[in-house]
Amino acid sequence: MARLTTLPAVCAAIPALVAVGFCGAICVAAMFGWTPTFWRGGPLTLAEAAALRDQAEVARLIEAGADPNAEYPLRPDVLSVNRATPLEAAVAARRPEIVSLLRLEGATLDGPGWHRLHCLAVEIGEVDVINAVDTYRPATGGPGSCTP
Amino acid sequence: MTIATYPRLLVAICAALIAGSLGYGLLQVPLQVNDSLPKIVDAEHSPGIWASFTSEIGTTDFRPLWVAEIKVLFDVSRGHVHLAYKAFHIALLLAAFGLFVAALRIETGVDLAASLFALCVLAGSNTFTGLVKEATPVNVYLPIVVFVLLAIRLSRSRHTWGVDAAAVLTLIAACLTLESGVLVWVALVAGRIAGRRGVSDRALVCATVVMAVYLVVRLTMLPLDTQNASGYLTERLEPEQIRARFGAGLSRFNVYTVLASISSVLFSEPRDGLFVALRAWEAGDVPPRMWINIVSSVITTVLIGLTACRLRSVTVAAEPHRDDMRADFFVFGALLAASAVASFAYAKDVVMSTAGVCYALVAFWAVRDHLIRVRRVGAAAAMAAVLLVASSLWAVRVVGMHHALRTQAFAFHNDWALMRYNLPQDPAGHRLVSALRDDALSRPVINPWFIPRWADRVFDIDF
Repeated sequence: MARLTTLPAVCAAIPALVAVGFCGAICVAAMFGWTPTFWRGGPLTLAEAAALRDQAEVARLIEAGADPNAEYPLRPDVLSVNRATPLEAAVAARRPEIVSLLRLEGATLDGPGWHRLHCLAVEIGEVDVINAVDTYRPATGGPGSCTP
Repeated sequence: MTIATYPRLLVAICAALIAGSLGYGLLQVPLQVNDSLPKIVDAEHSPGIWASFTSEIGTTDFRPLWVAEIKVLFDVSRGHVHLAYKAFHIALLLAAFGLFVAALRIETGVDLAASLFALCVLAGSNTFTGLVKEATPVNVYLPIVVFVLLAIRLSRSRHTWGVDAAAVLTLIAACLTLESGVLVWVALVAGRIAGRRGVSDRALVCATVVMAVYLVVRLTMLPLDTQNASGYLTERLEPEQIRARFGAGLSRFNVYTVLASISSVLFSEPRDGLFVALRAWEAGDVPPRMWINIVSSVITTVLIGLTACRLRSVTVAAEPHRDDMRADFFVFGALLAASAVASFAYAKDVVMSTAGVCYALVAFWAVRDHLIRVRRVGAAAAMAAVLLVASSLWAVRVVGMHHALRTQAFAFHNDWALMRYNLPQDPAGHRLVSALRDDALSRPVINPWFIPRWADRVFDIDF
């Protein structure tokens, strides 16, 4: 009888033990001060954080001294370009909330810069993004035409 | 050392690892902004613990002990606010897992297998998710789960005056924490009806008086605001929509939420009253996580149902713990029904968390029962296949709980970004929120870009 129960008992226990093993790996990593792989990401540049909706990382990087108007490298697959300013990255990734946050954190645009970004937002066609970019519109700058 | 020592020790270690890993996840999740921060600021402004306790009198929530806990933790934190609240949450989790393991009868290898299965049911359940994810800044449902498990423990123990006093005090503490605290009374009474003698009739009368006084005060002397947003079939309705469609009094909506709440424990659907799998089906894409939830729950509920059906005919010779098993099934049924009735106004999975924990307890009995009743090779093979599928799916759900935490960490982390521009005007509040924001932003969280796309389809997240 005991032998008959062994197989189903093992079948009930093994997957549960795998889950416990996963939990144990997290505990062991934490005890040694490591970040468990499951919780590990990677450092982001300011432009990547902007493209990837990482508001907290955008704020943290800028408050740690990163220039919100500089150009930064981007990993492949984040956007179709490999370098961009945080604002360009936020507009290309359709993140109006990041565009607004960058303004609060000190990002600026001159007339030509705003026009170029405005046209990029128009090309993307999302009203929220266009409105967010237009808050950067210089007092003296006109809308201009976005047609090439 | 008895023969039961090693299997029980092993289960306790497994429970500690699950609770510990969830605790690690909790520490990674920044404090929440929208619901937690105002309460932390209130705790800072409060002149003392008693003032915090009494501040709840006259409010619609009426959770004085919970608010006092928030104040106590703030005071003892000495600036380490994140750590204090998270440590308390982890302590509650450990207590819940500890009491759960204590409720299991673990003596043999079969018990060990059934216990491991039950641990996965406990930690992977959709009703358990809210016990881990919700923290405003202290989880308000988890203490109730701990109190109910304690009540079950007390009713099982040998009767003494101390047990009686502890039972009544547990009920009082639970009722002052949350309205669901009355479930402690349900657990005590159900345990007594089922034949448990740990808590005496005199103590039960005393507990009944306490509960009656609480209900009278709560329902007649304090303001009530029972209507929250809730799911209804495949749509989510706001309170105004519910009133407009079903009227202000009791209606078929209330019947729906009661039945939906029961179903959410037994079948993982609907979620907060919303049939998410049906909605996904209509949209043409049911992600694997929904199948995982439903299939694992259906198999487990069928096993529990089959065991429940033969409870009457079980003899002590065949099952030495028959009375315990019957009592746990009865307590589970009582708590499931009471929790569902308490959810009459709106369906929310976490409100059913106490029933969810007892569901895991009866899952232990059911798996154990099916294992010890295997008589033929064919039946053993079939049972092995069924348990392998169910246990595997529950294991995925346990891992999914960690995924839910890391997803939540990213969302909560982002909420702090704009806080710099919404700081309180008073100097003390300004200093506190600035410090909390700096602390939250300094915590590394994983951006979802680094997480494989399949994870959101396999692991259960917000629906």
